[in-house]
Amino acid sequence: MSGRIVALVLLAVTAALPLASAAYVVSFTVQLLLFVILAYSWNIISGYTGYTSFGHTSFFGLGAYASTLLILHAQIAWPLAALGGGALAVAVAWPLGLVMLRLRGSFFAIGMFGLARAFEALAFGWASVTQGGTGLYLPPAYDLRPIYYLLAALAFGLVFLTYRLDNSRFGLQLLAIREDEDGAEALGVKTTRLKVRAFVLSAAAPGICGGLYATYLSFIDPPTAFSPATELTTIAMVLFGGMGTVLGPLVGAVVLSVLYEVLWARFPQIYLGMVGLAIAGVVLLMPRGVLPLAMRRGWLPHGRGALRRLASRAVPAEA
Amino acid sequence: MRTAIELLVNGVLLGGIYALMACGLNLIFGVMRVINFAHGEFLSFGALLGVSLVIGFGVPFLLAVVLVAVAIGLFGFLMQAALVERVVDGPPIMSLLLTYSASTVFVNGGLLIWGGGYQGMPGVFSGSVSLGPMNLSQARLVAFTVAVVLTGLVYAFLAKSMFGKAIRAVSEQPEIATVSGIAAAQIRYLTFGLGGLMAGAAGVLLAPMFASDPQMGARFVIKAFTVIVVGGLGSYVGAFVGALTIGVVEVVGGYLVGQTFATALLYFLMIAFLLLRPSGLFGVGIRR
Repeated sequence: MSGRIVALVLLAVTAALPLASAAYVVSFTVQLLLFVILAYSWNIISGYTGYTSFGHTSFFGLGAYASTLLILHAQIAWPLAALGGGALAVAVAWPLGLVMLRLRGSFFAIGMFGLARAFEALAFGWASVTQGGTGLYLPPAYDLRPIYYLLAALAFGLVFLTYRLDNSRFGLQLLAIREDEDGAEALGVKTTRLKVRAFVLSAAAPGICGGLYATYLSFIDPPTAFSPATELTTIAMVLFGGMGTVLGPLVGAVVLSVLYEVLWARFPQIYLGMVGLAIAGVVLLMPRGVLPLAMRRGWLPHGRGALRRLASRAVPAEA
Repeated sequence: MRTAIELLVNGVLLGGIYALMACGLNLIFGVMRVINFAHGEFLSFGALLGVSLVIGFGVPFLLAVVLVAVAIGLFGFLMQAALVERVVDGPPIMSLLLTYSASTVFVNGGLLIWGGGYQGMPGVFSGSVSLGPMNLSQARLVAFTVAVVLTGLVYAFLAKSMFGKAIRAVSEQPEIATVSGIAAAQIRYLTFGLGGLMAGAAGVLLAPMFASDPQMGARFVIKAFTVIVVGGLGSYVGAFVGALTIGVVEVVGGYLVGQTFATALLYFLMIAFLLLRPSGLFGVGIRR
């Protein structure tokens, strides 16, 4: 019950924010929402399914380029163009997932890392379409509010989706793949089909997001589109909050976004190094993240609430 | 025909330096199944330190190679002792994230020390040598020779010395090696140090050919990944053969389709190998 109230309050605050605050706050929140979306998407494939992707910016960058090109050459309105970016990300992720998900562990991570670098090299090299390193320019977006609301809707949608996933058969099957893929396969979990589905699911929102980000910046170039810093920050957020949890990415994104904003404003020269230090600190000191810690201490209810209630109800019926 | 031979030779020369970097990376992977994302920073620190020594202090080039190799080797040793050792038994993602974040910290540190600009090593081996009908850059020939000698020395060290045998033992059978009285932790420090030493030397050797900057590591580490995937993860000889292959593919591909597409080609080659022949040309196979 209290969870629902918190969610409603959050929703109301997010909805009211652009009406009542300065452009700076809106601009900051746009970036925060962006990372919430990226973090939740990454959490689906890497947190729940256990396939650590070091190249999820591939989909972000593809979406950014697709949407920018749609706006420039087909004069499509930017919200639709962003959806087009998402569609391209999905269309690429499907066959890619079938191929890449045959790799496991470190191999998948390196493969995805190489893939993002390959896309970046292509964006640099295919200058007749992408203008190479010069980048593509869009008409500047004066009013950030429409972008803000779209991002907010996407972010809340993903939180809700993750909540549903956490309490679903599909979610449990993904967790089974994470814990022991061969075992899950032996028990009849259709691992290939399910992990490809999770991969595609985790590619869609970054694709849309990339398009919205390009509109927000009114500019895109290969280092921005396929930035390793975006990748690293996203991973840090999920890791900090807790991989494979419903609220972990949100907590991580909020805490680290605020932290980064402070660091970036005060120490722009050592910003990236600080992000690296933060990740190293989390890996060494609390590799499971904040949320699992809070759950163990009993400050938060454990995950998979609906399934847990179902399980505890089944026991007396049998006895 | 002459162009073809010249491209081939240049590819092999470039591959020799990749070998120095990739053999160390593969040695580390073989011993502890850790993929060191910070290996590129060993290289870039080596290059920049080399430039500082040679240009700033007038140290002779070959002496600088030795000094820098020792310094970066020590750096690698300390990195293993202070950081990677703590996650070596954990899930692979932890060591990946740790070395990845270490790499960003090092890049940032490099930017603070050396600034973001490109630094060259003008006047060092800038001439060229005529070899039959071909003109070869002096810097490339020297770099190749030193790299191959060093790779060979490390190979001999692994094959003959007690320490080298211990490294191979831990790489092949960690439990049995430990039971037989080998201090696995010390071997891991030593291996990381050795990897750092080789990558640091490779950095200095690259400095006369390419301008160096603190962010160059990422470009080279991904090439080293490609090399060890193609050559076979964990195999020292495989990394050497893989490096020469990648050098040739890069130079010939660059001539045929242009530099940027050649880079993309390398990544696709890596992904193709991961999928079709994950043990590479000489690999020890995947231990999950």
